[in-house]
Amino acid sequence: MLSVSEMLKMRDKLRKWREENYRNSEQIVDVGEELLNEHASKLGDDIWIIYEQVMIAALDCSRDDLAWTFRFDAILNDANKLYDSILQDDPTNTAARKRKISILRAQGKSSEAIRELNEYLEQFVGDQEAWHELSELYINEHDYAKAAFCLEELMMTNPHNHLYCEQYAEVKYTQGGLENLELARKYFAQALKLNNRNMRALFGLYMSASHIAASPKVSAKVKKDNMKYGAWAASQISRAYQMAGRGKKENKCSVKAVEEMLESMQITMS
Amino acid sequence: MGEVELSCLAYAKMYLHASQFPRCSVNGLLLSSSPAGGDVCITDCVPLLHTHLSLAPITQLALTQVDAWCSQTHQRIMGYYQANACVSDSSPTPCALKIAEKIFEQCNNAVLLMIDGEKMFPGCRVPPIVMYERKDARWALKDKHTIMLRQWEETCAIVNQLFSSGDQALLVDFDSHLDDITKDWTNQKLNAKIMELISPANGNV
Repeated sequence: MLSVSEMLKMRDKLRKWREENYRNSEQIVDVGEELLNEHASKLGDDIWIIYEQVMIAALDCSRDDLAWTFRFDAILNDANKLYDSILQDDPTNTAARKRKISILRAQGKSSEAIRELNEYLEQFVGDQEAWHELSELYINEHDYAKAAFCLEELMMTNPHNHLYCEQYAEVKYTQGGLENLELARKYFAQALKLNNRNMRALFGLYMSASHIAASPKVSAKVKKDNMKYGAWAASQISRAYQMAGRGKKENKCSVKAVEEMLESMQITMS
Repeated sequence: MGEVELSCLAYAKMYLHASQFPRCSVNGLLLSSSPAGGDVCITDCVPLLHTHLSLAPITQLALTQVDAWCSQTHQRIMGYYQANACVSDSSPTPCALKIAEKIFEQCNNAVLLMIDGEKMFPGCRVPPIVMYERKDARWALKDKHTIMLRQWEETCAIVNQLFSSGDQALLVDFDSHLDDITKDWTNQKLNAKIMELISPANGNV
């Protein structure tokens, strides 16, 4: 339990962090949680702004148990108003703008979040985080063409990032059709070139090559090439799982499942 | 359609999965080891994804592997569960309906289970689940009275115990497995811990 003077010190600390825009979320949660749990009645008018501060910090730290206690939605709305007032004073505050968009997303208001993000990106076209956020939103809305566009922007500016290549490939695979499958296969391969331990890319290569090889619409040469790619991927997968399974009894099940999957797809391809 | 029983093991793992990724949508498959036909018991579940639920390749991959594992272990896939990132909305997404549809093609008493995030707080008296079954070519809400959760209080106690012992961190979903393939998506270790906690309860009944 804190003495009154300690409590006042904590309250002042929180005010300082607020005013100086510190992002020390862990500390804010620690200090704020104790203050709110033990001394709520003594905080007066400050209580609401402290609630918001701790709430946002709790979200930052993924302390969602805390988030539930502080009535999620109501606080989000208040936080939103807070950011609105920040932006009134300083319209160039990109952090506040992006936090508003995160709030929209957390509230399930995807179309609004998408609209705001698009507007934001017109001004701040180099913001990688925003492009990625937008691609995630489009994926959730099943708008794969637009998601692909965002990922293309990201791949252009980050050509060495294997994750963007792999995600782009997944989107293409999902869009389906022979052309998209071939693109998917190429980008899964590219992701592997950038990071040969990306298992999603390896499995993706295996699956896209296998599907192309099994398609009745492809030429004999394309079929043969893709069977080769598929076989290569299968051997890499097998090897990776053999190595992972070494000495670990509990992996037996997942190793067996993979082996059976590889076997069964071999049969359908030939 | 008949009764559907949800086992403690399946419920506990679903709950743990949703709790592990509170700001993501998560999904998984519901399994049964009871024979087809008649009343149904969901005996286990496999947590699948917490990212990009609507993208095809990993979902297809997971379905194939879980299928393979099921035939090795005499289980069958008989349902699908999902918890939405947006807690106030527990309605099935297009992706949930699509996957549930695929499962229904193979299993005619398949169920679709949505986790109701708003009821996932400690001390809630009601199971945070909404179940759908196939009726007249669409997914309809299942009558709550035909959903059985035997020993509900013991189940809640077991889930709490898992959180206090830190064992909830043992849960591995398919996404985590792909990030590190030495992790076991069949959750043998966690299953054993849960079964240990369940057996004393059975002894008292």
